[in-house]
Amino acid sequence: MGSAVDPRSPFDSPRPPASPPAPPSSLPRTPSRIAESSSTPAVRQPSFRGEAGTLFGIHIVNVLFTLGTLGLYYFWAKTRTRRFLFSQTEFAGDRFAYHGTGRELLIGTVKALLVFGVPLLALHVIRERIEVPTAVKIAVGLVSSAVGFSFVPVAIVGARRYRLSRTSWRGVRFSFHGRTWPLMKIFIRGTLLSFVTFGFYYPVFLVRRHAFLVSQSYFGTERFDFSGQGRDLMEHFVRAVLLTPFTLGLYWFWWTARKRRYLWEHTRFGEARFRSTVTGGALLRLHALNALILVGTLGLAWPWVKVRNIHFAYRYLSLLGPLDLERIQQQAQFPSATGEALAGFFDSGFDLA
Amino acid sequence: MPTDWPAAYLDGETAIRHRAIVRLMREGLEVTPAGGRTRLWPYAQVRQTQGAYAGEEVRLEHGGQMPEVLVVRDLRFLQSLHELAPEFSRRFHNPARRGRRLQLTAVAAGAVIGLSAMMYLWGIPLLAAQVALRVPVAWEEQLGKGVVDHVASPARRCRDPQLVAAIDTILGRLTAAAPRSPYTLRVYVVDMPIVNAFAAPSGSVVIFRGLLQRTDSPEQLAGVLAHELQHVLQRHSTRAIVQHASSGLLIAALTGDVTGPLAYGLEAARVLGHFRYSREAETEADTEGLKMLLAARVDPAGMIAFFEPPKDTADKHEESAADKYLSSHPSDRDRKATLTALVSRHPTQSVTLLPGENWRELRYACGAPGTSLQESPR
Ligand SMILES: [Zn+2]
Repeated sequence: MGSAVDPRSPFDSPRPPASPPAPPSSLPRTPSRIAESSSTPAVRQPSFRGEAGTLFGIHIVNVLFTLGTLGLYYFWAKTRTRRFLFSQTEFAGDRFAYHGTGRELLIGTVKALLVFGVPLLALHVIRERIEVPTAVKIAVGLVSSAVGFSFVPVAIVGARRYRLSRTSWRGVRFSFHGRTWPLMKIFIRGTLLSFVTFGFYYPVFLVRRHAFLVSQSYFGTERFDFSGQGRDLMEHFVRAVLLTPFTLGLYWFWWTARKRRYLWEHTRFGEARFRSTVTGGALLRLHALNALILVGTLGLAWPWVKVRNIHFAYRYLSLLGPLDLERIQQQAQFPSATGEALAGFFDSGFDLA
Repeated sequence: MPTDWPAAYLDGETAIRHRAIVRLMREGLEVTPAGGRTRLWPYAQVRQTQGAYAGEEVRLEHGGQMPEVLVVRDLRFLQSLHELAPEFSRRFHNPARRGRRLQLTAVAAGAVIGLSAMMYLWGIPLLAAQVALRVPVAWEEQLGKGVVDHVASPARRCRDPQLVAAIDTILGRLTAAAPRSPYTLRVYVVDMPIVNAFAAPSGSVVIFRGLLQRTDSPEQLAGVLAHELQHVLQRHSTRAIVQHASSGLLIAALTGDVTGPLAYGLEAARVLGHFRYSREAETEADTEGLKMLLAARVDPAGMIAFFEPPKDTADKHEESAADKYLSSHPSDRDRKATLTALVSRHPTQSVTLLPGENWRELRYACGAPGTSLQESPR
């Protein structure tokens, strides 16, 4: 949570841009190398073409089927929604496409339950119900904590790998090449150091995690780049921790905005770079109104909130600079549906949401 | 209808978009990218992945893992496709059917709203009652033990023998007439000035000294006890847990995916909904508790008087006996009316509780030395 990359938004990090028209003087004027983009501006923003009403139609049928199947339809519902949201998002004149299926999501969830849920339950039973020496109980407790802890990085990598590989633009797929173990190391180190330093390490942890996720993401053969440093956020983070309690938590929105701007501004794609102009006040207004809408309708107005969120995200995000699309080739292979090693097993189609 | 349509062609290998012309033929689509060679896509090999919803472009794919893609903006393309190749109509979305889909969506919306309301009003309470009956008593005891140990720790319990005996007598009277319960019913008086009482899931009723001192007669205490015992016997806390969980599932089903601050907003709505269920539980504890009193031949006037809302609202600093108790037990004027009506329907002969005991002294048997009427806790 709180990362600039909202895992529920149509595209994870390759979400291209939206922002108010930038001051022309600051724009790179380099002519694009590909003929068709010579007429396109060097500031690009995605736009969302969908109507909340259409999404409501999809959503309400999803709800009906989900209730009717006691929840089993959830995975297909999710896929239908994503497919619509992606295909309504336009960037540089072309729509995104989502290729995932409900079956894959269901299998991913079952895998997660088998790999994590069943062992955790078994360990719990050993600890709570069976008479064993205290030393064994402590050992079992440590093992369950380790299993629970490792679930987070495994799920992040698996979900990102799955979602990016099921996303395309102009017929070219996105992909994620990060493995689970490096992220696990970032998590172990980050958790320990955050603890030892009373939280001061947290911004470094946050940026390292983000750097790993972004810089292992590809569009076709072209990689995304991230150059941020955790220490740049340190001062802002400390201020947020100090000010948040005195502002009834409201200052956290300014910190979130600050963090998002930083993370996007250090993200590049080829020679183009992202820019975010989101502000804390805008985030606060968005969330306050969203909460009112949702609570007032007990969640039924979710499609309007979703569309509001997407418009919001695109309004403050843009991609500046030349986009060399000619160089980009389709990646030679897709992540296979079945992995060879155990890590591969985790990494394939392992999506929970 | 024209057979040639402008389209965008993506070769599935690069991110370059080509202008193309697509021609509808009897057996398939003839695709001609600008400056490229013409190819034929037999209808049986074409998949439509987008274009079924308003605002979507028609997207057609041909080929395996890295398919070629054709994007057509004009929806009439689909119409003429259906006219030209009706035998393949199942493979492609038919825009002519959109009106009917709109109607079906409206029906679905009505059904969802009706269904959710039904589940909320009847389904969840019914489910919770059924589930609560099947939860093993051992689980509830495990759950309740922690609560009781925490709130009514042995050090804080009031052990005045006369008071304990008096409360045991009342408890015995109440439970003698009640059907056998799977729980071991216990009452603890805790030496704290709070005007409250509650029932833990394990069959333990905790009464705080503050509440005890506000009762005017053993009958009033019996009324509070009967109410709390009904929370235990009707398994209200277990029901509340099930109701809370299932209303969460219902909201999750209605909202698709919501995270972050919004989740908290919806949680608030869910908690508000929770009040409705707990009001129902209060009413049930009232009416069943009153029946318990009547069965035990305890004068119900005490209970009614105790639950009576303050008569003189102007006299605010003189709070009625049960004010604070009631503030943690959502209530309204109907409560008293319901109870009075119930009493008039079941007239019984009542027997005096604890004859020969001086209740005015007994209720101060618990508490720090020197506690007196003047220091009556607020
Ligand atoms: Zn109650």
